[in-house]
Amino acid sequence: MRFQYVLSEIATGLRRNLTMTIALVIVVAISIAMLGAGLLVRSQADTTKGYWYDRIEISVFMCNAFSTGAGCADGAVTDAQRDSIRQTLESHPEVDEVFYENQEQAFQRFSEQFDDSDIGGIITPDQLPESFRVALQDPEEYDGVVSAVSGLPGVQEVTDQRQLLEPLFRTLSGFQLAAFAITVIQIIAAVLLIANTIRLAAFNRRRETGIMRLVGASNFYIQLPFILEAAIAGLLGSLLGIAALFAGVELVVGRFIAPNLQFTTWVDGADVWSATPWLLIAGVAVSMLASFITLRRYLRV
Amino acid sequence: MILFDNVSKLYPTQNQAALDSLSLEIEKGEFVFLVGPSGSGKSTFLRLTLREEKPTAGRIRVAGKDLHRLSNWKVPHLRRRIGTVFQDFRLLPNKTVFENIAFALQVIGKPRRQINRDVPAVLELVGLDGKEDRMPDQLSGGEQQRVAVARAFVNRPLILLADEPTGNLDPGTSVGIMKLLDRINRTGTTVVMATHDQSIVDQMRKRVIELEHGKLVRDQSRGVYGYTR
Repeated sequence: MRFQYVLSEIATGLRRNLTMTIALVIVVAISIAMLGAGLLVRSQADTTKGYWYDRIEISVFMCNAFSTGAGCADGAVTDAQRDSIRQTLESHPEVDEVFYENQEQAFQRFSEQFDDSDIGGIITPDQLPESFRVALQDPEEYDGVVSAVSGLPGVQEVTDQRQLLEPLFRTLSGFQLAAFAITVIQIIAAVLLIANTIRLAAFNRRRETGIMRLVGASNFYIQLPFILEAAIAGLLGSLLGIAALFAGVELVVGRFIAPNLQFTTWVDGADVWSATPWLLIAGVAVSMLASFITLRRYLRV
Repeated sequence: MILFDNVSKLYPTQNQAALDSLSLEIEKGEFVFLVGPSGSGKSTFLRLTLREEKPTAGRIRVAGKDLHRLSNWKVPHLRRRIGTVFQDFRLLPNKTVFENIAFALQVIGKPRRQINRDVPAVLELVGLDGKEDRMPDQLSGGEQQRVAVARAFVNRPLILLADEPTGNLDPGTSVGIMKLLDRINRTGTTVVMATHDQSIVDQMRKRVIELEHGKLVRDQSRGVYGYTR
C-alpha cells in the first residue's frame, strides 16, 4: 500500500469538491450536535427524575380547629383518628417510612420558608395542619396509598408531589423526543449529502478509477481514498459539532439555567466529555458507511 | 490463453444478442486481429475477456482462469495479467509520461524500486526514452498511444488487448504502433487487436477472426481484412 499516493488522492478529492466538503462538514456537525443534545437531554431527564424521586413523598394533612371539609366535620383531629391514620399508613405495603409533623414543627418550617415576608408574623401554630409525611417504596405507586387514607375521618387533604412534578417530566420527555426526531432527520440528510458528495467525487475521478480498474487495482485500493475522504469530513464535522455542544452547554446551561434553576443537578461539560467518544465514532462511522454503500453502486468491478 | 466456449451475451435493452454462441480459442503467443462491422460483437468480446461483464451463457477461460467461477475480489488479479489499449489513449492529463506509466504500478502496490527500474525500461521499449517528463498534451497522437501501450505492458501481462489502437492515428503513425505491438508479441505476449484498419490487417498477415451479428463468420490464419462495406 502506497501511503503517500492515498494521502495525495484524499487531498485532491477534498480540494476539488470544496463546496460539497464544506456542506458535508456542516451537516455532520449539526447532526452530531443534535445527537449530543438529545443524549444530554435524556441524561438530564434521568438525573432530574432520580433527584426528585428520592425526595418524593405523600403528605397527609390532618384537620385543625379551623378546618372545613368532609373529613373535618368533627373539628380538629382526635388522638384516636390520628392513630388510625398512622396505622393505615404503616400497614400499607407500598409505604416505606412515615414521619409525623405536629403543628409546632409545621410552624417552624413555615417560618423558615417565609422568613422575610410579613405573612410569617400573622400566622400562629394552631392555624397550621399537623401532617404525616409518607415516603414510598416505589415513587410510581402512589395511587393506592392516596386512596387508602384520603377518605378517613380527620384527614383534610392528601397531596402527592408526584402529581405536581408530572408536567415537568412530561416536558422533559417531550424535549427528548423532539431532539431525537430532529437527530434522525439530520442524520438522513447527512447520509444523503455524503452519498451525493462521494458520487460527485467518484464522477470527477472516473478517468483515474477507470484506469485503476483496468490495470487491476483492487477494489479496496480504488475505494480507500473516497472512504477516507468521507471519514475525514465526518471527523471534522463531528469535532465541530462537539465543540458547538460544549459551547452550548457552557453558555446556556452553565451561565443561564444552572445558576437560576437549582431544583436539580444540571448537565455540564463533563457530560459532553463523556459523550464525545461515542459522538466521534458515530460521525465517522456514519460517513464511512454512507460512502462505502455509495461506492458499491458507482465504482463496480 | 483465451477460450470462449459457446458464449452468448444478451443486453437487457437490446433484442439481438451481442454475442451468439461464440466458440473460439486463442493460443499463447498468438497475434489475432478481430474484425467486423460496428456492433458485430468485437467490443463485447474484449469486455467479457476482461470480465467487465459476465456472459449470459457459455464458458470463458482466460489465462488459465475459469471466469465463471472467478470471485469478484479476484478479478483485479486477472486484470493484472491483461494489458489494455484503447483508441482514445486514456492517459491522465495532469500526470507526466513517467507518472502515467508509474500509476499503473503504484495502484497495484508495487514498490518504488521496481517502478524506478521498470518504467524507464518500458519507455525505451516503446521508443519514448528522453520524453518521460513531458505532459500528454505535449505529445503527438502516436506518442500518446505509445505511452498507453507502455502503461499496458509495463507489468508484463500475458495478454494485450487493443481496441482499435490506430483508430485515431494517421497511416504512417499507425505502422509504428503496429511494429511496437508486433515487438511485444514477439516477447511471448498474446495480442488481440480489434480493428477496422484494412491496410494494417492486410499487411501484417496474422490470424483474422471476423464477427458479424455476434457470430463467428471467419477464422483464418495469415488472413486479410476481407470485409467490404
